[in-house]
Amino acid sequence: MNNTIVSYLSQYESYKGLLQTFSDVFGQAGPGLLTFIIFLISCILVVTILATIGGLGTYAERKISADMQARMGPNRVGPYGLLQFLADGVKMFMKEDIMPSTADKFIFSLAPLLALTGVFGTLAVLPFSSGFTLTNLDVGVFYLIGIGSLVGVAVFLGGYASNSKWSMLGGMRGASQIISYEIPVVLSIMAIVLMSGSLNFVGLVSAQGGLPQEWFIFHNPFTFIGFFVFFIGALAETNRAPFDLPEAESELVSGYHTEYSGMRFAFFALAEYVEIFVVCGVGAAAFLGGYNVPLHLGGEGIIGQILQVLIFFGKTLALYYLVIMVRWTYPRLRVDQLMTLCWKYLTPMAIFNLIGCALWIYLLDGQSMWDMLAGFVGSMGTGGGH
Amino acid sequence: MDNVIFILSTLLTVAGAISVIVTKNVMHACVYLLTCLLGVAGLYVTLGADFVAATQLAVYVGGVVILMVFAVMLTGGPKSQTSNKFGIVKIPMMGNAKTYIIGILSSVIFVLMAYRVLHRVIAGYQAGELPALTETVEKIGFMLVTDHVLAFEMSSVLLLGALIGAAIVARPRRGA
Repeated sequence: MNNTIVSYLSQYESYKGLLQTFSDVFGQAGPGLLTFIIFLISCILVVTILATIGGLGTYAERKISADMQARMGPNRVGPYGLLQFLADGVKMFMKEDIMPSTADKFIFSLAPLLALTGVFGTLAVLPFSSGFTLTNLDVGVFYLIGIGSLVGVAVFLGGYASNSKWSMLGGMRGASQIISYEIPVVLSIMAIVLMSGSLNFVGLVSAQGGLPQEWFIFHNPFTFIGFFVFFIGALAETNRAPFDLPEAESELVSGYHTEYSGMRFAFFALAEYVEIFVVCGVGAAAFLGGYNVPLHLGGEGIIGQILQVLIFFGKTLALYYLVIMVRWTYPRLRVDQLMTLCWKYLTPMAIFNLIGCALWIYLLDGQSMWDMLAGFVGSMGTGGGH
Repeated sequence: MDNVIFILSTLLTVAGAISVIVTKNVMHACVYLLTCLLGVAGLYVTLGADFVAATQLAVYVGGVVILMVFAVMLTGGPKSQTSNKFGIVKIPMMGNAKTYIIGILSSVIFVLMAYRVLHRVIAGYQAGELPALTETVEKIGFMLVTDHVLAFEMSSVLLLGALIGAAIVARPRRGA
């Protein structure tokens, strides 16, 4: 029923040969074991690559901010300071693992793991290409929203368990912010689900084309606004500036992870940077055409798949760059401004967009603006000929 | 392979549920409840009900558990005024006699009206034919707006009531 990476690979001859070998060696358990091994390898691959991107995200953050502030940024470790994140990782390993004596020990050690679980759980449905999606769930979008909300629980529990005022305030802010901003984000994605008539990511992406006028962002005015509602909400959901109130260095020391050190802190930081990538990936898949390569160059073959993966990563990293740029450009909002923005502006706009998209589909048969424009220009041309 | 997932989910569910009862810390109970609910989502997956499983994740893990933790933290311990001089804990009534009478009367009238409108429809009910659908999401969506549209609308009215109630509870008090 669901397409997975295994069902994609099964069309190749070499997979069938491998299956035969496994069946010969392990008998009845062969196919199941092979499926498990393929999933294991691809999961390790995806998690490793995404963790590296998360690490490089911290490097990019510093380098871009340094660039914007006319500084050098990290430039000692490796070429252009590229290996700085590895040095940071080693430092994190070496640090003493401190736990406050009054902390709730069970929840304190559980919270970073929950954050990582929630973020890495979303990677299962992220559409890297038409073949290389770990699993193409029928309810992929819904699953991603559900499992992604574990991060909110983790932020809140981390803040609570630290038993410190700063952490507590950060955790409370984080939880209320994540719950609130989930509404405009989900409603904006809902409009796209309505346009494509599918809840799985591959269906979402294949309803679009490779060129910008075939993307959902330029499909009609409502989706165009919807993309910005989604992007602002996504910034808030990932606790990024200008919505970084749960961390708010200048007010709350470091917010919900004030008391964390060593690898537990690294887990929180990694979860944050990978979550940004996931959210940008969702934005790229839902609004910016996802893995569709222009001129139908991407396809079933190996080269087509690689092109698709490259274009998906390109779009996602472009959004990632935007997120970092926004952080170093805008000042932080106050708590009341944050809630006002969500409930009085973004949520009504998202509902308006949803209804607008529904009406657009109903009244105009789901044509995009460009189709209508082309039809209009065409009729003008023929009208002028007579 | 299905058995492995089933056993894991069952273990999560049962262990989580037992821990919720055994633990004395309310916050820990919330976390155990989280694992229990995750296990139930896993059980739904083994049953092939992926939409229900995703709903379980989105509603319970993302919503209910956070709200419970919030409630536990924001309500604080019991106040001394809640027990009277005999040491009996007084539970505040959710309204007074007037609101209860109005509530009961309006619910009776609503049920009678609904019955009057619906009993003919229910009597002459024939199950419609579903188009050939492959995904459970499509099936559920189709059933919700055809055969079960009444339940769907009722639940939306219920949620609207909850929203209005929340707004009334949270509004600033007059003269306070």
